[in-house]
Amino acid sequence: MSVAEEQVSGPATFKRRGRFRPGDAVLYVVTLLAAISGVVLLTLITREVLADAWPAMDRFGLKFLTTQAWDQNKELFGARSFIFGTAVTSFGALLLATPISIAIALFLTELAPRWIRSVVGPLVELLAAVPSVVLGLWGILVLGPFVTGTLEPALHNALGWLPLFGPARPVSSSMFAAILILTIMIVPIVSSICRELFLGVPSELKDGALALGATRWEMVRGVVFPYARAGIAAAMILGLGRAIGEAIAVTQVIGNSVAINADLFAPGDTLASRIAGQYQGADTALQLSSLVYLAVILLVFSLVTNIMAQIVVRRVAGRHQV
Amino acid sequence: MRVFAKRRKRFLGGISVLLVAASAVAALSVSGAQARSSAGELKGAGATFPAPLIAVWQQRYEAAKDVKITYNPIGSGGGITAITNKTVDFGASDAPLTQDQFSACKGCVQLPWVLSATAVMYNIPGAPNNLRITGAIVADIYLGRITKWNDPKIQRINRGFTLPNQTITPVYRSDSSGTTYNFTSYLNTAKPEWKSRIGKGTTVNWPAGVGARGSSGVSGVISRTEGAIGYADIAYALKNKLKFFSVRNRAGNFARPGLVGIKAAAQADRKFSPTNELSIVNPPPGKRFRKAYPICTYSYVLLRIQSEQAALLKPFVTWALTSGQAYGPALVFQPVPKYVVDRGKATLRRVHP
Amino acid sequence: MEADQNASQIFRTERIGRRKLVNRLVEVAATVSALLAVAVLVLLIGSVAKRGAGAISIDFLTKTPVINTGFGEPQPSGIANAIVGTAIIVGLAVLMALPVGVLTAIYLNELAPPRVASVLTLALDVLNGIPAIVIGIFVFVFLVVGHGQTAWKGGFALAILMLPIVARSTQEVLALVPSSLREASLALGAARWRTTLSVVLPQAVGGIVTGATLATARVAGETAPLLFTSSLVADDIRTNPNEALESMPMFIFKSAEQADPALHEQAWGAALVLIAFILITSLLARAFAARSRRRLLGER
Repeated sequence: MSVAEEQVSGPATFKRRGRFRPGDAVLYVVTLLAAISGVVLLTLITREVLADAWPAMDRFGLKFLTTQAWDQNKELFGARSFIFGTAVTSFGALLLATPISIAIALFLTELAPRWIRSVVGPLVELLAAVPSVVLGLWGILVLGPFVTGTLEPALHNALGWLPLFGPARPVSSSMFAAILILTIMIVPIVSSICRELFLGVPSELKDGALALGATRWEMVRGVVFPYARAGIAAAMILGLGRAIGEAIAVTQVIGNSVAINADLFAPGDTLASRIAGQYQGADTALQLSSLVYLAVILLVFSLVTNIMAQIVVRRVAGRHQV
Repeated sequence: MRVFAKRRKRFLGGISVLLVAASAVAALSVSGAQARSSAGELKGAGATFPAPLIAVWQQRYEAAKDVKITYNPIGSGGGITAITNKTVDFGASDAPLTQDQFSACKGCVQLPWVLSATAVMYNIPGAPNNLRITGAIVADIYLGRITKWNDPKIQRINRGFTLPNQTITPVYRSDSSGTTYNFTSYLNTAKPEWKSRIGKGTTVNWPAGVGARGSSGVSGVISRTEGAIGYADIAYALKNKLKFFSVRNRAGNFARPGLVGIKAAAQADRKFSPTNELSIVNPPPGKRFRKAYPICTYSYVLLRIQSEQAALLKPFVTWALTSGQAYGPALVFQPVPKYVVDRGKATLRRVHP
Repeated sequence: MEADQNASQIFRTERIGRRKLVNRLVEVAATVSALLAVAVLVLLIGSVAKRGAGAISIDFLTKTPVINTGFGEPQPSGIANAIVGTAIIVGLAVLMALPVGVLTAIYLNELAPPRVASVLTLALDVLNGIPAIVIGIFVFVFLVVGHGQTAWKGGFALAILMLPIVARSTQEVLALVPSSLREASLALGAARWRTTLSVVLPQAVGGIVTGATLATARVAGETAPLLFTSSLVADDIRTNPNEALESMPMFIFKSAEQADPALHEQAWGAALVLIAFILITSLLARAFAARSRRRLLGER
């Protein structure tokens, strides 16, 4: 940044050469204290969460990750169902959301006339502003019945040979409903990032392809996608991170079951959703500790996706500074 | 220079807006921290099972004694946690505290103060109310063994109505629930396989079905889902106009969860445990229990022996045990027997500030 | 050469029909996707508006919910306590996050050596990516267990969510302030701190307010942090930050899973109020941001 460079030369050295200004020192200390709050919070969060998960970690160890149980009577808790549920719902939502988001970004950058762009663009971003609890409310009362009544039978009739699409169930809570809700949540994120990326593709490259006689789709496939490939990856990772961490909307529509099913229309549960579901109180110290253990696993997952996204973003930024 | 001054004014303007807003928040908070308008306040949290009756108590007691009662129906587990963590003045739980919970609570007592039944509700389109069912069948349904309503076992005892070929969706409590404790205690006695495989508790490892939060949540899912079956206090079935089963008792009769059935079942246990526990699930066969409904339970209030609010708590709990019971029958809460009232009063004497 | 041969192979005119068809299909797919997204949004907002409008009334906004006891007794019910509670909790969150965020941004943008700045910025980015439910659990085990729920603990959890957003947006605004202003002030003999507080900051106030407003709008709808910190609430209007207060998102969350359709209607009404607040705030903030950005850049 330009300001940092100023410190090396120019008027800023006035400070070092000139009188000692106590005000400068005060400002420096105060703002430094504020700035390290981020680091302090991160350390605190990690430490507290690990400390409270410790009784469960000590008792179950890494077997916790492969145990499918949430049984207070037998004092047996395990995260396997929830890791499965998190993986299925998040990747399922990513699978649905990525093509839709890329398509929307393409529409907004290549196809739409300016006036449509200025209307549709903000509308898609508006979707991101809807609170997750409202999406969950809509999911329970509007989307749920529609899915059970119309979508599930249709999918079962068309693709019922896949174990993913079992017979339609009368209950509206299912992993499929959670996937749909999560898709709605991550489409705005991924599409707005892709939109920025596609706008950043140098027009000479695009015009060159068109001049060679490529159709617009061929231009997109041959120029825009390769150019934006890393950025699209980063957008997908960010969307995935968002889906992994969503607790409220998911817990409202997923059915809170510990069973593991291939059938998407069965109920399930995710890490974030199970933590949210038990907010009213855990009976025993071990149950609370297991709950915090789930939070530790969730924290690890989201940190990994976050850092991966950061790496990809920084690599993209570096490459494009040519 | 003029530009500079204008900028400073705008800056100061911005700062003062923020300050005004901040002091408004602070002023609101400070005024809120002052004394309440009523003479006193009691905070409670816990089971959803007695919540309909406690809601009536809240109104009547405040009108009579000018003491405000707050109650959060978050489930029996939540009530136990809340009283253990001292975030409330009283807790409520249908599941009696275990030894471990007593030691974690450090100086808590429980006493039964409400008596009612857990209804087994269903949503079968076109079916009449009070279809018949047995405990073994319910256990099989929740084990995932019986999956269709027209299963011969169910049809056999319901000759008056042809059951549809509809998938059964069992609904259970996903939160920590005393009603679950009551329901699973009953299933333990109804089917030995349930006892060995699943057991009883406020949360168990449900092999099949869908979870919902709170008795309200369970009622909600059932009313929205065709073919669903679930359990909650009878008051919720009546409030949400859900149909419920007549369940076979040990005497061989199919009993309904009404005041008569509850009163008969209450006779099954008159002997308090050292911690005031009474278990009236699945009463034995015998003339006294002909009409007993097999899934009844007491619900307990949880108090700390040493409680700052003792001066307000003791009159309230005494009132609840005596005058408060009169509001029960309208919501299918059977007034507790005299020996329960006496025991409760004796336990209350131990509570002090 | 090879490339030419390939190029002429791809762009052979005999295959132009098929290529045009594929192109057309993709264009249609893209358009349909965009329209699908818009349709979902319209359906969503439409549902909230249609179902919520019926619940809105002066009573709804000024009365408090009373549990529907017995069978069908009419009770006054509204969300006044939730509105007041959200105002207090979010207000406390802003009070906690705004100063720390602005000071952080000042440090990172004006005073920090570049290496330190990038490490601290990374920390803030990581903090931003932590799910709200984990923040809620953290505040629960750190502050609530053994001590009880209070509104300010809920505000604290929301403040942790707001901090990276406020810091980042303030940084962006500070970077927009022309360095010539800083240089001029320093050249005139003003101390660093004087320059920052009296010259740079006033220029950035508009952007700071915008950033804070956007962060507030986002955080007003968060439920997960409040689940553990402010959920055991009374049903009348309370203003004491030292006890748990009802909030709009919690009210919607609890009412959505009830069986009573009357409570569903209340949930829709509350959702409508919440969305209206968030949308209007966001739109106003963005309009204000555009205006102040133009003014800032125009004065160069």
